[in-house]
Amino acid sequence: MDIVDLSTLPEQDTRYDEFLRQVCDKYEMDHAAYAGMNPAAGTIHGHVTYGDDWKAHYQEQGLHLIDPTLHMSQRSIAPVDWSRLERGKDFQRVFRDAHDFGIPDQGITIPVRGPYGDIGLLSAVRECSRDEWKKLVPNVISDLQSLAVHIHDNVMTSDTISRMLYHPTLSSRELEILQWAAAGKSQQDIGDILSISHRTVEVHLRSSREKLNALTTPQAVGRAIGIGLIYPG
Amino acid sequence: MILVVDGLNRHLFGEVLDDMFELRARVFGGRLGWDVNIEDGKEIDQFDHLDPAYVIGLDDEGNVVAAVRALQTTGPHMLSDVFSDILCGEAPMRSATMWESTRFCVDTQRLTRGKEKNSVSYATCELMIGSLEYCRNAGIQDIITVIDPVMNRVLKRSNCAPYDYVGQTVPMGKVPAMAALLDCSEERISGLREFADIRHDVFIEEEEALEMFEAKKAATLSPANRDHKPLTDLEKYFVEQMSSAKTEEERQAVLKLIEALSDTFTPEQKTALLQTPRAFAHEA
Repeated sequence: MDIVDLSTLPEQDTRYDEFLRQVCDKYEMDHAAYAGMNPAAGTIHGHVTYGDDWKAHYQEQGLHLIDPTLHMSQRSIAPVDWSRLERGKDFQRVFRDAHDFGIPDQGITIPVRGPYGDIGLLSAVRECSRDEWKKLVPNVISDLQSLAVHIHDNVMTSDTISRMLYHPTLSSRELEILQWAAAGKSQQDIGDILSISHRTVEVHLRSSREKLNALTTPQAVGRAIGIGLIYPG
Repeated sequence: MILVVDGLNRHLFGEVLDDMFELRARVFGGRLGWDVNIEDGKEIDQFDHLDPAYVIGLDDEGNVVAAVRALQTTGPHMLSDVFSDILCGEAPMRSATMWESTRFCVDTQRLTRGKEKNSVSYATCELMIGSLEYCRNAGIQDIITVIDPVMNRVLKRSNCAPYDYVGQTVPMGKVPAMAALLDCSEERISGLREFADIRHDVFIEEEEALEMFEAKKAATLSPANRDHKPLTDLEKYFVEQMSSAKTEEERQAVLKLIEALSDTFTPEQKTALLQTPRAFAHEA
């Protein structure tokens, strides 16, 4: 399986842009954008695949101050399809301009809420018929949820203070399951060993991966060993 | 029917939320005896200020009969903060595709026994279907939910048994509380739908809900023929036109006609007609 993974990209400022481009390729989107706010560090982060002309125009016009895909979406816990926002005058203001730059107004924003009041917003847009869009979204929405948290956690832990705050705390069940995974056991095996359902193993692994900022279980195992949470298999 | 209220539309549904907070006060403060903060007859806690999503069950009259609250597990939620007893002090799970559901409640006073519409069982199943589908549509795969043993039994009986539990069952007020895991799979949703014999789309759209509440308000505030005099032929004509209007345009056309013929009405009648064509309609 080819996965879009930040840890495979070089440690540079452009790696988030590259990540977003990969998201577009894999999930058939025209553009993707990430905005993150970290009140603890007092920082705001933005990464987009849009062209420089639109970026410049967006900033000059101060559109970030009114853009409802940022301001409204963060009040939802579910992904916000832009059709929910399109009647607002701010939306019309932003996307009338966007249209001139060839940016479609059909999109979705996935809000992420972090533990320290930090907020992330991953948006993806695509120019296509409404029907096509409605078929596409259900197929990609779960993956986009995971990738939204993935890029958000990576951006939030990019400075030292936040990285220290972000030290992962795994429950003993999560550690137990990860330890068995390190020993090479499959999810099915682990379920049998611990007398729990296969799905319970799966949700704990998913949670552990996310806490360790990993997209795959082997990665999570590696990192957990690296910081001494579990022993090498 | 199920209405979803979140940070984007809560300003439109203040009264619905108030009804829900009152229901929560009766259920969690009263029946379950939890240590919850009740002010002005409403149970509201710190998580209600974090723009959660509420999945709310309404009866045909628009009364709140069931409700549940959803929060992401990536940020602050109840298991990470106030329900740590249940997890024996362990760290809660954190996943982009897992939401936490809390404050699941059903109005057992308003609803009846049995399985038909307006029963506790129907309202519970409808709310479960609504929350599972809302989660699924958002790309969520699992729900961790804090429930009491009664709710746990209801879930098991409704073809919707949790696939596992996390942590331990702890005493909380008059009843114990536990954290259960539910997947948002098609199998679970169709199993529930089968059990409850609910085949239709359970959601009510924002506009539809607003219209319903508007009509409800109009009906109670000022029925067009509150003098209980029989309707005149002209009034009856408007009522017929209004009830056969299918689009907003047609509706507007009737309103314009009323406006145009306004000198045949008293100002009061006219206002009432314009404001409450729907309330008027059911008197015809």
